[in-house]
Amino acid sequence: MTALSMFQLVSLLLLGLGLLGVIWRRSLVGMLISVELMLNGAGLSIVASGQLTAASGTVGHAAALFVMGLAAAEAALVLAIIIVVAKRYGHIESARLRTLRG
Amino acid sequence: METLAYVAFGVYTTIILFGGLMAVFSRNLVRALVGLALTLFGVAGCYLLMAAPFMALMQILIYVAAVSIMIFFAIMLTKPPVGAEEQPGRPWWVVAGCIVAALAPTMLIARVLHVQPLVSHEHPTEIVLMDLGQTFIEPYFLAFELISVILTVAMAGAVLLAFERRQGQ
Repeated sequence: MTALSMFQLVSLLLLGLGLLGVIWRRSLVGMLISVELMLNGAGLSIVASGQLTAASGTVGHAAALFVMGLAAAEAALVLAIIIVVAKRYGHIESARLRTLRG
Repeated sequence: METLAYVAFGVYTTIILFGGLMAVFSRNLVRALVGLALTLFGVAGCYLLMAAPFMALMQILIYVAAVSIMIFFAIMLTKPPVGAEEQPGRPWWVVAGCIVAALAPTMLIARVLHVQPLVSHEHPTEIVLMDLGQTFIEPYFLAFELISVILTVAMAGAVLLAFERRQGQ
């Protein structure tokens, strides 16, 4: 097994754990944590592809930094949404959030 | 040296697996967050192994420092009931369904990895940071500017969403 396959398998593991967490978790914060796991797997996969193949390592770094920036923006927005939901409904359980009214 | 690299890889993978399982299955959300931080450290170690120390530092700086603290704030501000955030007790078919649903896409990609063997450089070279800076300000200038706009808009939107109006306004 080559080094690249090993790193890709680790990022696949992160993706699987993140997917399982999004399905498994009942609270919105837990789902946010799982999404962060998946995004981390994406970053690891991109950097591994840049560093361990003939592709440009610099572009791999840049793409992974973009993923990190987007993850930070996403986390900030989701945090705000979670706070609004907690204020309005008094809980953050995804199964109990059934109202679609504004 | 080769053996040492494999040992380090095994240690980091174990840390990632342990932290990830903790992040997904821990009842207490704060423990889940600690598991996430552990996983992020493991990924930083993987970055070090593939000769990308800059990415490892960024990982620790952005994810372990900033994003984890932000999630901790989310846990703190929403004041979930102490102890049991996730109620126990799910029928076995729900557990099996969750695992199958998560495994299906993962196995699909694993199959692709298996069928399409990857050509790999066993000795990665460290990139020059100056080149990375040049990449950001020359060919990918628009993307770089757009991500700053996205970050600004996201932060402003977050402040606006969570803003508490004073009574009587």
